[in-house]
Amino acid sequence: MKKLDNTLVIGIGNNARHDDGLGWVFLDLLEKEGFKTNNLLYKYQLMVEDAELISTFKTVIFIDACKSEIKDGFSFERIYPSEEVSFSTHSVPPNQILNLCETLYAKKPKAHLLKIKGFNWDIGIGLSKQAKTNLKNAFSYFIENHFR
Amino acid sequence: MGTTKIIIDPVTRVEGHGKVTIKLDENGVVSDAFLHIVEFRGFEKFIQGHPYWEAPVLVQRLCGICPVSHHLAAAKAIDQLVGVDPEDLSPTATKLRKLLHFGQVFQSHALHFFYLASPDLLFGINAPAEKRNVVAVAAENRELAKKGILMRKFGQEIIKALAGKKIHGILAVPGGVHKTFKAEERAYFLDGMLIPNVDTMIAWSKEMIDFIKTYYLENAAWLDNFAAYPSNHLSLVRKGTGAFELYDGRLRSVDSEGNELLNIADVDYRDHFKEAVEPWSYLKFPYMAKYGRENGWNRVGPLARLNTCAYMGTPLAEKERQIFKEYTNNKPNNMTMHTHWARLIELLYSAEAMKEFLLDDTLMNNDLVRKGTPRQKGIGIIEAPRGTLIHEYHTDEKGLITKCNLIVSTTHNNEAMNRGVREVANNILNNKPEITEPMLNQIEIAIRAYDPCLSCATHALGEMPLIVQLEDCYGNIIDEKIR
Repeated sequence: MKKLDNTLVIGIGNNARHDDGLGWVFLDLLEKEGFKTNNLLYKYQLMVEDAELISTFKTVIFIDACKSEIKDGFSFERIYPSEEVSFSTHSVPPNQILNLCETLYAKKPKAHLLKIKGFNWDIGIGLSKQAKTNLKNAFSYFIENHFR
Repeated sequence: MGTTKIIIDPVTRVEGHGKVTIKLDENGVVSDAFLHIVEFRGFEKFIQGHPYWEAPVLVQRLCGICPVSHHLAAAKAIDQLVGVDPEDLSPTATKLRKLLHFGQVFQSHALHFFYLASPDLLFGINAPAEKRNVVAVAAENRELAKKGILMRKFGQEIIKALAGKKIHGILAVPGGVHKTFKAEERAYFLDGMLIPNVDTMIAWSKEMIDFIKTYYLENAAWLDNFAAYPSNHLSLVRKGTGAFELYDGRLRSVDSEGNELLNIADVDYRDHFKEAVEPWSYLKFPYMAKYGRENGWNRVGPLARLNTCAYMGTPLAEKERQIFKEYTNNKPNNMTMHTHWARLIELLYSAEAMKEFLLDDTLMNNDLVRKGTPRQKGIGIIEAPRGTLIHEYHTDEKGLITKCNLIVSTTHNNEAMNRGVREVANNILNNKPEITEPMLNQIEIAIRAYDPCLSCATHALGEMPLIVQLEDCYGNIIDEKIR
């Protein structure tokens, strides 16, 4: 079993909306690679209580599909707590969760955001061909740079 | 006569995507106001052709906020497809489903109060936008915010214990439930070792009610009048007694004076309701056929439920209900902002009800599933956190769904929310030389009182930038704000 010591990987999305499920499929791949499933979290959206959850980890990695263009079809970046305000607490962006975590629990987990470009957001199961390509590249990069 | 349009798009701090258009005439007087619903997901179509037993799982994809409500409403309908009516379900299965439901209502109401309503109440409607949000609540009221998170977590943990996952888990199966409640699972919620226990949830709920009662007395002038208007009120009530009921009962509607308009078996809803459509919204407008489109619409949700029920079945919540009723001399309460007060009384009820069930040893029995003679039509109605939720399914002889009709809580409240928008627009926007941000926020506050879940209502997921557009009478955008 491969370890994700003190690391929480959160896949955000909805696999009933094609490429919106990229974050979840990424977690499926991690599980197939042998990573501990109790460090993998499937989420439809981030919620305020996730601030408490991430406060118990040293590192948190958010993985989400994105609509905007990204060079190479994916990006992996360090993110920090932000005072940027979102307009719905039914769905809170990662940097606001980090902010709440710091404000309420005085914890600052190291955080990264992996964005993978998707194309099809209609109702239905399965990733588009282009999304699969981006997923494969993102996964290879992730494993190569963080777990080898 | 020319008109100017102010557009708030989308509404903030509600679930999903909505847009408000306020039309001003050339004199700056509000001529009309609408809440538009601009996306459509088509879930009723999507589910056709699927086997009926998939429905309680698939419909949860409508929403990441109240999937349990959809799961249970669908399950009640699917029970009927296998020939099991609510009264034929095993007592253990009914109680487990109810406990799941109370957990859902508890976490949903906690989320709404602490993170959607409290910024408006704590900082006031004239506070700057950057102040009226959950981060500001957390920064200035750390303990309140932490309690909010722990209360929501408690409800989520109940859901996880029963359904396996916090979101989109499965408890109900056709004719019952698939798992019982284990002693160690129960102890987790009672002993307070790992999370604050159910008694703490009751105490914190009571604290919140005490806070809001004081707040309401101090701010009665605006809370009593803001977006207030007479309406009918609809909810389930318990069969036989008329008591407060969230899971199964009769549909009862009363008018603004308390006169009973409807009291029917829930499965007969089709005979008594119609749905109107408007070209400017995907959201339908349900109404009671007997009273027509103009007079037959209802509010649903916490305020409506406290107006339709005869009493509440838990002691502390019933005491609070009586205080709530005394405020209006036992007449129905038509004050929109009192929905927040009613919601907290339901929060307390849910906490008390969870305790009652957690102490019930029969939840650990193994009589979980019943069977009957299959049918081809099932109707499931429950009271979701936001109000009456209706699921109806028809199947062919192979058990494949041929027709589905969903009426979600926010759809019932469609007319009410539109009235609220108009009331506020008339009061604050007439003849004002400038449309200020606090003015626009008041429109949103009127909508937020209903805690609308527009993604449910339209079966769509929305994105959340705020765009405010001002259009002249020719449709030209003369001002735009994005935040």
